[in-house]
Amino acid sequence: MSVEPTEQHNDATVMERDDQTGSRRGMFAIAAGGLAAAALAACGRPQRETISGAAPAAGAAGAPAARPVPRQAAPPAADLDIAAVAASLEQLAVDTYGAALDAAGSGALGEVPPAVGEFVTVVGQQHQEHLDAWNGVLTASGRAAVSAPPADLAASVNAQFGMVKDAAGAAQLALQLEQVAAATYLDAIGKLQSPDAIALAGSIQPIDRQHISVLLFALGMYPVPEVFATTAMAYSGSGPMPAAPMMPETR
Amino acid sequence: MTVNDRAMRSLVEESQDLQVDAMRNVELCTAELREVGASRAGQEIDQDEIRAYALGRRKLLKAGGFGIGVLASSGLLATGFGQRVAAIVNRPTQASTPVDIQIFQTASSLENLAVATYGAALQLPFIQEQAVVKTFAETTMMQHAEHSAAFNAQTEALGGQRQDGTNPKYTPIVEEAKPTLTDALAVAKLAATVEEVAQDTYLANLTLVSDGQKRLLFASVMGVETQHLATLRAVIALIEGGAPQLIAIPTDLAALPAAAGSVAFPAAFEEPNLASPPEEGALS
Repeated sequence: MSVEPTEQHNDATVMERDDQTGSRRGMFAIAAGGLAAAALAACGRPQRETISGAAPAAGAAGAPAARPVPRQAAPPAADLDIAAVAASLEQLAVDTYGAALDAAGSGALGEVPPAVGEFVTVVGQQHQEHLDAWNGVLTASGRAAVSAPPADLAASVNAQFGMVKDAAGAAQLALQLEQVAAATYLDAIGKLQSPDAIALAGSIQPIDRQHISVLLFALGMYPVPEVFATTAMAYSGSGPMPAAPMMPETR
Repeated sequence: MTVNDRAMRSLVEESQDLQVDAMRNVELCTAELREVGASRAGQEIDQDEIRAYALGRRKLLKAGGFGIGVLASSGLLATGFGQRVAAIVNRPTQASTPVDIQIFQTASSLENLAVATYGAALQLPFIQEQAVVKTFAETTMMQHAEHSAAFNAQTEALGGQRQDGTNPKYTPIVEEAKPTLTDALAVAKLAATVEEVAQDTYLANLTLVSDGQKRLLFASVMGVETQHLATLRAVIALIEGGAPQLIAIPTDLAALPAAAGSVAFPAAFEEPNLASPPEEGALS
């Protein structure tokens, strides 16, 4: 089992993702009047399940929010370097969740609880949106979009994914990925200079922290174990997977 | 609701040990700010800072920040309540106090409000009877107290007056809500609102504070408030879905409904829709 760019998984949602990518790129390209378009794009997203089976009401707490339109200002080169690292981590997450979906679909993870399947599907989509947002920043500044994960991290994740035998093992690997992403965003927020880039990183970091809480709960751990989020697991742009102080033992 | 209380407390205690490094970062940040504060002592207020803040604030308001967008979309802006909130939001920053100090004072006021809210919840008999909810309320209250202390340390390091009071805008709202707290669902919904206001405020502050160290502190605390919010969203959904018995540790993963896997993060991006403006909890 390995984590590769998952064309098969992407094909399943290619139309939806093309829509989202187009919307995201459009948001970065259109300064004024884009909010309504973004809201429409958000309204066009597929409904997700609720506990009671009812779809969340539009505009209610819990309904998808439209991102405000970033101003158009060329970020400094250092910001774009950080954006590229962020995009590569998002690509790794997209690939990993895609591979997990494929593995679940093939029965390689045994019986997958419904909540785990829903988590993998939705979180994979959210990381795709994050990837599109960062690639929008890069391409708007004349840089190439990122389509590959960090090679060293991908190799590390591949090795770990090969040992995953069940949903709990997949959740542990996902927890590690989310911790690295959240810590990297936290580190980036302190270093970025462009207000737009800061706002974007700031809007994504909480989502990764929310993912962490659900994974901790799924693994039987307290969902908010830290008083302060730290940069301990931040990815520097090279090297192996950072150590995971909060990781439970492999099941 | 069921819980292995000893196991969960052990997990909480273990996790608290991880805070040593985080607190070291906060202390480093405070020491740096103390030097900045000392160097600023006796100096005039930086009007460029005020102007830069005002510009960023106007842009946030235009984007629907500080709660105005929510009030407008819900039809509340035209009501008396909405007008009072709008008046607070539209009040210009106090030119006599550095913006960063106002931001930290308001942050402390929100943390103090959260401490008071969870403190009130812990007085309720049905919270005392539910071990998981009680442990969450106690732990979260402690975490908010730590956040308030961190923000007050920054305020004092910058030469400002510590804020030990609760947020003036939301305190009466919480007080009015107290008689309606008749079950865990009502408590969870009120707590979720308080957490969302804090999260959104710190998100907005990321582009308002003057340097990366202060951004780092706000992002660090925001990362924890958003986890409180995510947990409460899941709790609310499980109660409303008729499955409160699943709010338990160890987790019955197989029994959780599919929606439990995504209800905690309803959007791919968080927005500062409920953000409090810097002067809201500032001391004059």
